[in-house]
Amino acid sequence: MRLNWKTTAWLPLILVAPFPVSFIPARAQQPAAPAPGNEQLDVGQLFATTCGWCHSDGGRAAGKGPQLMDSKKDDDVLHNRIKNGKNGAMPAFGAMFSDAQIDEIVKYIRALKPHEG
Amino acid sequence: MKKQWRHSSFCIAVTAAALAASSAFAQSVDTARIDAGGQNDWLTYHGSYRSYHYSPLAQINAGNVANLGVAWIHIPGRSTRGLQSMPLAADGVLYYTGSYSRTFALNGATGEVIWSYFPELDEALIARQTHSPYNRGVALGEGKVFVGTMDGRLIALDAKTGKVAWDTKLIDSQKLTVGFTGAPLYAKGTVIIGAQGGEWPGRGPIFAVDAASGKKKWEFLTVAGTDEAMKTWGNDSWRTGGGGGWMPGTYDSESNTVLWGTANPAPLYDWSGADYKTQGARPGDNLYTSSVLGLDIDTGKLKFYHQELPHDAWDFDSAVGEFVMLDRDGQKYVVHPNKSGYIFVYDRNLGLKNVWRITQNSNFVKNIDAKTGELIGRRDFPAGKVAEPLCPHISGGVSWNAGSYNPKTGLYYKLGQEWCMTLEVQKTTPIVAPQAQLNIGADFKIAPPPGGEIYGHLDARDPITGAKKWEVRFPEPPLGSVLSTGGSLVFVPDSRGTVHAYDADSGTELWNHGDGTGHQGGIMSYAVNGKQYIAVVAGFGGMASDDYAPTFGGVYKSMPRDDGALVVYSLK
Repeated sequence: MRLNWKTTAWLPLILVAPFPVSFIPARAQQPAAPAPGNEQLDVGQLFATTCGWCHSDGGRAAGKGPQLMDSKKDDDVLHNRIKNGKNGAMPAFGAMFSDAQIDEIVKYIRALKPHEG
Repeated sequence: MKKQWRHSSFCIAVTAAALAASSAFAQSVDTARIDAGGQNDWLTYHGSYRSYHYSPLAQINAGNVANLGVAWIHIPGRSTRGLQSMPLAADGVLYYTGSYSRTFALNGATGEVIWSYFPELDEALIARQTHSPYNRGVALGEGKVFVGTMDGRLIALDAKTGKVAWDTKLIDSQKLTVGFTGAPLYAKGTVIIGAQGGEWPGRGPIFAVDAASGKKKWEFLTVAGTDEAMKTWGNDSWRTGGGGGWMPGTYDSESNTVLWGTANPAPLYDWSGADYKTQGARPGDNLYTSSVLGLDIDTGKLKFYHQELPHDAWDFDSAVGEFVMLDRDGQKYVVHPNKSGYIFVYDRNLGLKNVWRITQNSNFVKNIDAKTGELIGRRDFPAGKVAEPLCPHISGGVSWNAGSYNPKTGLYYKLGQEWCMTLEVQKTTPIVAPQAQLNIGADFKIAPPPGGEIYGHLDARDPITGAKKWEVRFPEPPLGSVLSTGGSLVFVPDSRGTVHAYDADSGTELWNHGDGTGHQGGIMSYAVNGKQYIAVVAGFGGMASDDYAPTFGGVYKSMPRDDGALVVYSLK
C-alpha cells in the first residue's frame, strides 16, 4: 500500500535545496540511498520516519493520534490538518511540504488497507 | 468588629513578614542548602541532590491521613498536553510551571499568586513540534528562578518579583526543532539544562550557564562529544545521531560532578540486524547515547560514564533524571533507572555494582549482566516485520517521572509499566532541513504482554538488590512521580486521576482522593508556618498518555488533554 513518489521526488529536493551542507551528512548514514533527484520516496517511509510516532501501524491504527485508515474526514480537512496542524495535538507541516505533496499524503491515507494475514 | 480588624491586621502583618522572610531566604537557596535538603522545603527537581523525592515531614502520617483534604487549587491556564512539572518550595513560596513555560510563584499556605511570568515564545515554531509545549519545572538558586523554553532559551527570573534577570538563547530550535522541556539543575553558581533529542537528528547538547550573568559556560554533546565517542558512529552517522539529556540529573558535591542521563540515538529502531557494529543506520555503540555521564561542573569535561545500552535499538534511553545517592555499609551508591525497566546501581564514579529489573515483561534482551553490564541475548532487528512483540512498549518499563527512596524504611518506591508493542522496522532517511523531523525507523502499535493484560505496579524494593517487599497493581500504568514521607506514607498520583496514599511498610492503601483528571507530573511536600502540605499537578496528555484513550477507553475517552491544575492538600 505504499505509494511511490516517482513523479515528485519532493523530499530530496526539500532536503538538498535550502541546506545542502546539512543534507549530505544525513545521507551519509545510508550510502545505498539513490542520488538526489532520482530518489523514489514513498509516504509509507515517511510514516516510518515521522508520522508513525502518533499514527500507529502506518496510519492503520489509533495511537497518540487517530487512526487514519477509513477516516471519515474529507480530503480538504485532512489536507488542512496536515498543513496547519492542531494545537497541542498535531504539528503543522505546511512549512515542510507543498500543497501537492500534502495531497500525496492524503492519497496514501485514502489507499490504506489492513495488513494481509 | 474591632477584634476582627485587629485579627486581620495581625494576619496581614504575619503574611507580610512571612513573604519578606521568604524573599530574603529565597536568595539564600544555594548549593549547600540544596545538598542538605531541608525539612520544610523542596529546593530542586529531585528534592535534594540526593534525589530521594522524599520529605522528612511527618505531620501527615498513617494515623491521620484519612483527614487529608484539598487546601487550595491553582489553575495555570493553557495547559496544552496537561501538566508535567515538579513544584518546588522555598521558605513558604511554591514555584511551578505549566505548559508554554508559564511560571508561577504562589503563597504556599494559600495559593495566592505572588507573581507570574508568561514568556513570549515562538508560537509558530511550537506549532511545528511534536513533543511540545509541556514544561517539567524550574530550578532555584541565588535569588533566581530558572526555566527553559521550547524555543531553545534558558531564562532567569528574579525570585521576588518574577522580572527577567537574563534570557539566553542556547539552541537554534528553528533548525533543530528541539528545545527545552526538562527542568534545569542549579549547583555551584551554574545552571545546567539538557536539550530534547533522541528521535531528532541532532547531537543532543547539555549546557551549563553562569547563574549570575546568563553566559554559557560549557556545552557537552551527547553524540560523539569526544574523539573516543566519534569512533563509535559509523558512516558519519554522528551528524544525525539524536541523543540529548531532557531530564535534570543531579550534582555530587563531594566530587564536584554533574550526573546526567542521556537520550537514545536516532533512528530509534535500527535495521542493522545482529551485526550492529558495522551495519545499519548508525553502526557502532553510539556513544554517549543511552548513557549516564559524570561531568566536571566547572569545565563540562567528561570524568566518567557508563553506557547502559550500547547501540540502543529500542528507544530505552537513560534520560531518566534520578540518581539516588545513598550509603550502605560504608559504600556510597548511586541508583539510576533506565527506561527499559532495568535499574542500574553504581558507585559514585558510575562504576557498575549491580543491575536489577522492575518489569515482568521484558524481551529486548534476555538479561543484563549484573557485574559487567553486558546486554545478553539482545534483539537487533533487520528491516521487516518483527515476529515477537517487543517488550516493554516505547513508553518504557518506567516513566521519566521519579520514584522515591525513603531513608526511614530503606525502600525504593518505584512504578513499573507492563506493556509491549508490535513493530515493522523500516529504513528511513534523516530529514534535517528545512527543519529537523523525527526519525523513528519503524511502524509500531501498542500491544498487551504475551498472555496477559497491560498494567502498572508500585513496587517497594531494596534499591541495591532489587528485593521486593510489596507491590500494588493498577489497571493502567500510572505515569506520575512518587512521593514518600517521614510520616511513613507513599503517595501515588495515578492516570485515572486519583491520588493514593499507602502505608510505606505494608503497601496498605490508607487514603485516596480524585483530582478530576489524570496525573503525569510531579508530587512533593513542604511546610509553611508549621503546617505540612502535599502538592501534586494534575492534567493529562503527551507522549505516553496520548495512547490511553484508544488503548483503555473508559474514563480516558473524555479526559481532556489541554487542561490541568495544581492541587495542594493538607489536614482538615
